[in-house]
Amino acid sequence: MGMRNRNGGGGGGGGGGTSGACYVYPDSPATPGIVTPDVTFDRGIYMNGSMTMDDGNSVRIWGFTDGSGGGGMGGNSFPSPAIRVTAGQIVHSRLNVQGMMWVHTMHHHGIEPADHADGVGHITWDVDGVYTYQWRPMHPGSYFYHCHTNTVLHAEMGMYGALIVDPPEGPGTLLSGGPTYDVEAFWVVDEIDSSWHNLRWDAGTCGADAGLNTLNPDYFIITGVDGSGTSAMNREPISATVQVGQKLLGRYICAGYHPQKINFGGLTGKVYISDGRPLPNPIEVTELRACSAERYDIIFEPTEPGEYIISTDIIHWITGEVLGTAKTNVIVTA
Amino acid sequence: MKRRDFLKVGSASVASTVFGSVGLLSWAPRAYAQTITKTFYITEGYQTLITGEDVYFRGFSDANGMVNVPGESLIVQEGDTIEITVVNTLSTTHSFVIDGLVDSGPIASNQTKTITFEASKAGTYLYYDKMNAPYNRLVGLHGGFAVMPSGLSNQLYPGSPTFVQQYFWIFNDIDPVWHNAISNNQTPKTAYEPRYFTINGLGARPPGAPGSHDPNIDAMVDTRTALHGQIGDRTLVRILNPGLASQSVHTHGNHMEWLTENGNIRPDIWKKDCIYLDGDMGSLDVIYPFEVPPDSYPPATTGTYPMHLHTEMSQTAGGGFYMFGALTDIYFE
Ligand SMILES: [Cu+2]
Ligand SMILES: [Cu+2]
Repeated sequence: MGMRNRNGGGGGGGGGGTSGACYVYPDSPATPGIVTPDVTFDRGIYMNGSMTMDDGNSVRIWGFTDGSGGGGMGGNSFPSPAIRVTAGQIVHSRLNVQGMMWVHTMHHHGIEPADHADGVGHITWDVDGVYTYQWRPMHPGSYFYHCHTNTVLHAEMGMYGALIVDPPEGPGTLLSGGPTYDVEAFWVVDEIDSSWHNLRWDAGTCGADAGLNTLNPDYFIITGVDGSGTSAMNREPISATVQVGQKLLGRYICAGYHPQKINFGGLTGKVYISDGRPLPNPIEVTELRACSAERYDIIFEPTEPGEYIISTDIIHWITGEVLGTAKTNVIVTA
Repeated sequence: MKRRDFLKVGSASVASTVFGSVGLLSWAPRAYAQTITKTFYITEGYQTLITGEDVYFRGFSDANGMVNVPGESLIVQEGDTIEITVVNTLSTTHSFVIDGLVDSGPIASNQTKTITFEASKAGTYLYYDKMNAPYNRLVGLHGGFAVMPSGLSNQLYPGSPTFVQQYFWIFNDIDPVWHNAISNNQTPKTAYEPRYFTINGLGARPPGAPGSHDPNIDAMVDTRTALHGQIGDRTLVRILNPGLASQSVHTHGNHMEWLTENGNIRPDIWKKDCIYLDGDMGSLDVIYPFEVPPDSYPPATTGTYPMHLHTEMSQTAGGGFYMFGALTDIYFE
C-alpha cells in the first residue's frame, strides 16, 4: 500500500500528542470504490471514560462513541455501541478521530473486507480525521469491532463493541434455514489490568518498556460490568430470563487476551456458529474453552426452571492458573 | 562461565540461512521410499534483539559457527528412512527427539551421534532437545519436521482437504533472564516472564523500523513465514509452539480451515479466524484458502493482511514496541 513508509519510525506527524509516537501511519484518504451504503455507523473516540468496579475503584476506559461528535458526546458507553447489520448489506463505518492528539482505527474482527477497510495501521493507515470503512458482511454470527492501533493497549483499554450480523430474516433467526431464538444474551468476557490504564495512547511504541508483555489482571468483567460478584446478575442483556419452551441464544465473545473457560452452570447448549461460520455439525456443550477473540453462538432450550450461573474463568496464558471469574445468570421460569 | 569464546552472531545470521517457503530437505511425491540424511550442529551464540539486548540462544544449526533458531524445517515422505547426524559442539549434553518417531538419548559434549528412524506416520512434528526440559528447547533447540503421506503432494493426510503450498509457523517466547541462566548451565529460578515473541525465530519490524522489509530480520517478509498467494492458492500452515505461552492464532483476510490440533485430526473441519494454540508443545494444522476476502466490497482479489497472535502481549518486544512481536503478513497477489 502507498502509505507504508509514510510516518513509520519517526514522529507520528499530525500534531499535539502524536509527536512522541512511533510506527503509526496517520492518514484519512478517500475510500476506494466507495458506493452508497445500505447503512452507516458513525463512530467517534472517547479517552476519558471510566468504569467503577465493585470495590469502589474507578478505572480509566477508552472507547468509541455513537455519532461523529467525538469527545464523548452522546455518552461513553462501555462496551462501545454495538453494530448490528444484516448479511448482504453494504455497510459504512465512518470513524472520526478529531482529537489531533492521537490516532485510532476500527477493525471489524472476523469480518474480511478489502485491506483498506480492515483497519490495520501498519498495512494501511491509522485514522487521523475521518475515514469510511466499506464492507459487506456475508456470514451471520457474532463478531466484535476494536481499535487496531497499538492494539495491545487500546483493546485492553476497552476500545471494542459487539458486531452482530443477522441473516436476512433478522433478529430471532441465527442462520437462514437454521435455528431460531426467543431471547438473546451477550457474554463479552474480558480482564482488566488496572496498572495499564494510566498509560498514554502511544505507550511503548518507540520502544520504552511499558510492561505490555505482562498482563496481570485485577478485574474480571462481562459486557462492561464487574463480574466478580453479583453486579452482572439479573442485568439483561448480560443475564437472561427465559421460559421453559423458549430458546436462549448466548453470544459469547472472548474479549480478553488470556484464555477463558465458560461454564453454563448446568445448562447444556448447542454451538451452531463459531467465529461467524456455521459448524458442519453443531456440538453440544456444558462448557467451552476459548482463546482471545474467539466467538461462540450457543442456543439453549432449558427444560428445568431455576437459576443457572454462567461463569467464565480467566486463565493465565502461561501458568494455567485461574486468575479470576466473571459471572452472570440465566433465570428459567416454568 | 565456561566456553565464552564462541562467536557472537548478529541477528541476520541467527535467522536460518535457508530461504524458500520451507527448508526442503526432500519434498517431491515419490512412489518409493528413500533414505534422507541431514547433519545438525548443536551450537550457541548471542542475538541482538530490537531493544539492543543481547540474548543467548542454542540451535540445531546447519554448520558450526552459526546458530539457526529454529533449525531448518524438514519435509520427508511417509516410509522414508531418516538418518540424522547430530554434532554436539557444546559442553553440555543434548538430544534429538521427535515425539512418536525417535529419541536419540543423551548426546554428550563434543560427541557425534547418528540416529536412524523411519518416518512412519504422516503429520506435523517438532524436533527438539528433550534434555533439561523445557530449557534447552526454549533457548532454541527446536525445528519443524513434516511427513507427507506416501505419494501425495497436496494432502496433509489421505483424504484431507488439498493445498498447493506449505509453510511452518513456529512460535516461541523468550525470557532473557531464563536464557542467561541456561547459558550459565543453571536452572532458572525466577518466574517465567517472556519479553520477546517470535515466529520462525524472528519478530516483526513494521514499516519505518530498522530492518523493516529485510527478509533476514523482519518476520513480516521472511520468506519462510509470510504467505504469498493468488486467489485459489490454498496454503497449508503447520503451526508449532515450543514456547510456554498459549496463543490465539488469528488471520485476517480469510478464515482458516482447522484440520488438526496437537497431532489429532479434528472430527469436523471448522472455519475459524482465531484458533487456540496450546503452550508447551501445542500444534495445529490449518489451510489458509486464499479466497476472495468474503466481506470485501467491491470484491478484492489483491491486498495485504496480517496474521497475528491475538494474545496481544505477544505482539510486543521488551514490554513495548507494538508490532515487533510474533506476527507476519499475508500477501494476496
Ligand atoms: Cu485505538
Ligand atoms: Cu481482533
